[in-house]
Formats: sequence, structure tokens, C-alpha cells
Amino acid sequence: MAIFNLQKREIECKIVYYGPGRCGKTTNLDYIYNKFKKQVQGEMVSINTEGDRTLFFDFLPIGIGKIKGCEVKVQLFTVPGQVQYSSTRKLVLKGVDGVVFVADSLEVRREKNLLSLKDLQQNLKEYGLSISKIPLVLQYNKRDLADEGLPIMSIEQMEKDLNRQLKVPSFPGAAIKGDGVGKTLQECLKLTLINLQKELKWAD
Amino acid sequence: MGLKETIKATLKEAELYKSQGLLNEARQKYNKVAQLIENNAQIPNSKSLLDSVKKKMKALDDSHLRVVSAPTTPVMSEKAQNLIKELFTFSKDSDKASLALEGAISLAKFGQYHRAIEEFKKLLSDENVRIAAAKNIIKCYYEFVSIDKAVDEYRAWKSSSLFSPVQLEKVLGFLAGLIEKSGKSFDLDKVEESAETVLMPDEAVEEILDISSVGISLEKGVKSGSEIELDVSFQAGNVISVIISSKEKELIDNLKIGVKLNNVNFYSPIAIFRGSGIISASTKIDSGPKKGDYCLDIKVTNI
Ligand SMILES: Nc1nc2c(ncn2[C@@H]2O[C@H](COP(=O)(O)OP(=O)(O)OP(=O)(O)O)[C@@H](O)[C@H]2O)c(=O)[nH]1
Ligand SMILES: [Mg+2]
Repeated sequence: MAIFNLQKREIECKIVYYGPGRCGKTTNLDYIYNKFKKQVQGEMVSINTEGDRTLFFDFLPIGIGKIKGCEVKVQLFTVPGQVQYSSTRKLVLKGVDGVVFVADSLEVRREKNLLSLKDLQQNLKEYGLSISKIPLVLQYNKRDLADEGLPIMSIEQMEKDLNRQLKVPSFPGAAIKGDGVGKTLQECLKLTLINLQKELKWAD
Repeated sequence: MGLKETIKATLKEAELYKSQGLLNEARQKYNKVAQLIENNAQIPNSKSLLDSVKKKMKALDDSHLRVVSAPTTPVMSEKAQNLIKELFTFSKDSDKASLALEGAISLAKFGQYHRAIEEFKKLLSDENVRIAAAKNIIKCYYEFVSIDKAVDEYRAWKSSSLFSPVQLEKVLGFLAGLIEKSGKSFDLDKVEESAETVLMPDEAVEEILDISSVGISLEKGVKSGSEIELDVSFQAGNVISVIISSKEKELIDNLKIGVKLNNVNFYSPIAIFRGSGIISASTKIDSGPKKGDYCLDIKVTNI
């Protein structure tokens, strides 16, 4: 639910990082906070629980400058991935304009990815949104763990599991080193802004 | 791989999963190592090796316990609470009281009930949001303190002059639902009848309950007479949306915009209501997994 302020010619939209517990959502935001200093417009707020797991959300406000004479502000959020926090997950998703789904490449997390994607679809539906229409980008995270000898899924396998029907842009990533973080966000922003432009008939 | 290498590799895997916070996955790897050692008593130092693995398992189980038993709604700093209010208030153009109400509801949803109740209480003085604020106070007490506290609060309101009988009646209706859920019983008199209990027109429009599915009976066609139950996929106030599969051709043809539905069963989590509705929109879904299906909006006209 982007907010368009005509007087200030400013638009504010919301992008949510979704995905199973421990897949690296917070790590994505940490990297953005530390490395994209020019865009960051405030502190990153993390509300965590035991073991650095997200309890409510992470929040990071960024600005991406002017587009067609309009200042674009973006609120980045992560949801808590742990299964038991489903009501908070849904709350955080409210008013979302674009989604980054972070999937864990570890083989042992295959089913968790699927369940989380299903959960995303369900929660979007409850807000009257459709997973096949909302601007969505996938990130296959933790690719680096293959070097440590841990079994990870091939990109083909993950595409088949998660992206066969959706057919949305997807990126391999290793958020801990920053690999793929910028590209994923950039693509999600692009899709989100195109969508908003259509919806709000902005810049006509 | 020889046995020794397998054990070493599996242990390393366990450590890696642990460092990722994937505690169940790490536990499974430790289990595997323990089993390997137990099944191969000939391994030199097998006893001390097993002991050290068991110690690791214990430490892991302790961390796991800490994770699952961590408080789910810790009290946050005022700054964090303010941020929640700011970030989760969406209706930017409403009046001040409605905005304050929405902010307080967000606080309650994130478990910050002390502050939420404080803010709801301030809103009781505003006629426009009084009932909503009162219901939310009752709900906060019920969820975070006890049903007894909710009842006490209601009794206090009843003996004050803040609420009109009509308003009290509504709050009582809401409280009664929670009391039933709690399984306890309380002696609560009905609100005294007075001329005011006759519903004013604007108050007659009560909030519509959450409807989970609807049962429709068609008046003509092959399926006439039998009830067709449809799941509600979305509800906004008194408009509910249902999805009808493209295969249900007859149904789609019969349920065009403007069609009045008499004798609809509205299934809500607490009861079934009979009522009527009118088809207010019909949209063909043109992409995604439900492509070809129809999304119908039914406006509830009477329940
Ligand atoms: N090796 C590696 N580790 C990663 C990567 N991304 C995240 N991690 C690690 O995975 C663990 C979980 O990362 P988080 O970013 O906290 O995961 P999350 O998705 O926010 O988890 P929840 O808040 O519980 O939903 C941490 O130990 C991270 O260091 C990655 O790309 N590679
Ligand atoms: Mg997190």
C-alpha cells in the first residue's frame, strides 16, 4: 500500500523479505545497512529473540533518489521465519508492495522453503493479494556453503521446486558475503515501481 | 570414506548447521555420529568420543530449549513501540481518533498490551471510537491477563456513567463471546432495558462477523435445491469474496452481477447465520494458478 504524497512529490513503498527461519533475511538487510550507506535513511531496527532470531521484524528505511521527478522512499522489512510466529508474519506483510522471497539452498531446508512459500501465498491471499501478481523476486541464498562441503540444491532443482509456476526473476546469493544482495533488491525495486506506476498512473 | 573420515565429516556438518542456527538439523547429525560410534566399539577412545558428542548434544538441546521457551511478547522500549505505531498505521487520511485506535491495535497485536490498554482508555472519552476501544480493552485483558480482569473492567464501566445502555449492551455482547470461550461463567446482569436500547439507525449496522464459508442454494438449473458451499477467500466488512472454479460453468452463469441470493448460509467460526446477499462483482482471474476461475464478491445484505 504505497503512499503517494502529491504535494511533496514523494512516494513511499514497502518491500518485505520473506522466507523460512534462518534462511538469511536479516543478513540481507544487515548487508544493505552496512554497505549501501548512501541509500540508508535511518537506523536499522531489529526486534529479536533468543539466538538472534527475528521476533517481530527488522526495519530499514532507504531512499533511492528521484524517479520521474518523484522522490522514492522504501521501507524494507523482514518477517520472522520461525513457524510459530505466523501471526506476526502476517502482520508485517500488511500493506506490502513487493516481496523478496529468500530460499535456503541447503538440501535439509528444502521442505521448509516450500512450506514458507505456501505460507506467503496464503497470507497474501488473506489481504486480497495474489502471489502471481505481486512484484516478487526469489533469492537462492547460502550458495557459499557448498564450499564448506554441505549438501546444497542445484539452481535447477530450486527453480523447479519454487519457480515453476511463478516464473519470476531469481538470483543465487550468499548474503553473508553480500553476493546477490544488491541485485535481488534492485530487481524487486524495479518490479515494484513498475507496478506502482501502473496502479497509481503515476507520472502521467 | 573410512569410518573415521565419515565421523569427522558428519561432525563437521553438525557444527556447520549449528553455526547456522539450524539446531534440529545439527541434532540429527550428532545423532548419526553417536550411532556410528556406538555401533563400532572397536574405535579407539570410543567411550570418550561418545561422551564428548553427548555433551555437544546436551548443549544443543539447551540452546533449543532457550529458543522455544523465549518470551513471545517481551515489553519493548517506548521508542520501538512508537515505531510500531508509526509503521503499522495505514489509514493515513482518517480522523485523529481512528488513527490513534489503529495505532493502539497495532501495539496490542505486537503484544504491547500495557501501553495499548493505556491508549485505548484515553480513547474511551471519544464517542466515535468508544465501543471499539472498550472491546479492545476487554480483548487485551482476556488475552494477556485473564477473563476475570476483563469482567472486572466491564463491571466498573457498568457502574460508571460513561457508557449509554446501548453501548454497554454491545460491549457485553462482545464480552459474552469471550466468556464462553474461556469456559468460565460469571453472573452478569443484562443491561437494563431503556428507551435507548432501541437501535438507532446508524447503530443498526453492526460489525459483520468473520465469515469462513457460504452455502448457496440455486433456484434453477441442475443443481437447484442442493446447497453449494464456497470458501471465503477474503472479507472486507460486509463484502466477501469467493473463488469459483472454471469447471463450475452453471454456477458462474447463474451468479452474475446483481443477482440476489436469498437463503444463504453464512458459516462463521462461532455459528451459522441465515441471510441474504447480492453479487456485487464478478472477475475472471486471468493469470496465476487460478487462471480461468472466477472471483465473486458477495455483499451481505441481511444476516
Ligand atoms: N554461510 C552463509 N551463512 C548465511 C548466509 N546467509 C545467512 N547466513 C547465516 O544463517 C543464519 C541465519 O541468518 P539470518 O539472517 O538471521 O536468518 P533469518 O532469515 O533472518 O532468520 P529468522 O529471523 O529466524 O527468520 C546466521 O547464522 C547467518 O550468518 C549465507 O549466505 N551464507
Ligand atoms: Mg531474521
